[in-house]
Parts: sequence; structure tokens; C-alpha cells
Amino acid sequence: MDIRQSLAAQAYQPLRQTAQPTESTDGGAFNQAVSSFAETVAQGEAQARAAMTTGADPHSLVTALAQTELAVETAVTIRDRVVEAYQEILRMPV
Amino acid sequence: MTEFSSALSVAASGMRAQAQRLTHVSENIANADTPGYRRKITSFEAERALGAPQGAVSPGPVRLDQGVLPVIFDPSHPMADATGNYEGSNVDLVIELADAREAQRSYEANLRIFDQIRQMSSSLNELLRR
Repeated sequence: MDIRQSLAAQAYQPLRQTAQPTESTDGGAFNQAVSSFAETVAQGEAQARAAMTTGADPHSLVTALAQTELAVETAVTIRDRVVEAYQEILRMPV
Repeated sequence: MTEFSSALSVAASGMRAQAQRLTHVSENIANADTPGYRRKITSFEAERALGAPQGAVSPGPVRLDQGVLPVIFDPSHPMADATGNYEGSNVDLVIELADAREAQRSYEANLRIFDQIRQMSSSLNELLRR
């Protein structure tokens, strides 16, 4: 290992600590949002299954599907924005 | 997004209540010639069930129209009494048809609101996407 490599490794050490992944600091708000999204989608699926097999109330089916659509659209939009922001950071000239 | 989803639930409860009303109207029309049948009246009340969204509507208990039953003279009818009269039903087809039309209009209004909520939420997402 020549001197330049060891210098680079030394300079990288504090950066590594900074970039270390830590426990979520937002009190699990994101986790809650994701689990409520999953719950909405599961409810929609359960309603659809009930309507197909047991002839449940079609109004409940329409409501559940509309709510699922709303949740999925929101989740997809937010994911797109997050991915876009990540790519923007990757394009940063180093 | 909770406003949108509760508004969707309220609109759906309105549609469900109007469908219930239409069921009672069709029962009344089907029994228009049944002797002694009293027409069913649908009453609406605010939803008080636990977990239901605030402001939803629910079809209340069925009430029977206590108006006088028309006396029909027909001695050959099996239910005719000694004087040859029997009590018919107090269903008036014109009133039932008007009630059915009103239920249809209310249902359409709720459906429009449902569609409007979906459009509003998708345009909000559209704004987020840009």
C-alpha cells in the first residue's frame, strides 16, 4: 500500500461514519404509512374476493377499489419522486 | 388522503341507502294488488355505527304507511267478508314511481360526487408527479 492509498483510506474513514445507516429517527412514520398502505390494498383485495365469491355489497367493492387505487397511485408517485431524487444525487459531479 | 377516503365512504353510504330505498319501492309495486298490504316507507338517518365515517347516511328502520286501506267491493274475492268487501293495499303507483325517480336522481348525485372525489385525488397526484 503506497502513501496515497493510505491517505485516501484515512480521509474516507470519517465519511464512512457519517454515511453509516442509522436507526430511523422519524419515529417510524414512514413504516406506519407503508403498513397502512398495505392494509388498504389487502382490504381492497378481500372485498374483491368477497364480491366475486359470495356476492357481497357492490358498493363496498367500489369504495374499496377506489381507495386502493388512490393509495397505489400515491405510493407510485412518491416512489417515482424518491427514485428521481436519488438519481439526481448520483449524477452529482464528484 | 384521509379526507378523500372518508368522502368516498360517505358517498358510497348514500348510494347504498338509495339502493335500499329502491328495494322498498319495488316491494311496494310488486305488492300493489296484495290485499291488506301497507306500503313501506324508507326513512334515512345519520349513521351512528362504530367505525363508520362521520356524516354517513344509513337507511333507518322500515315504517309502514298507516293510511286507510281502500275498501274494494268484490263478492267473488276469496277474502271478501259478508258484505262482499275486502281491504286492498294502500300503494299508489304514481307515488311509487315518483319515489323511484327521486331515488335514481339521488343515486346519480352520489355517483357524481364519487367520481368528482376520484378526479380531485388523481389531479392532486398529477401535481405531485410534475
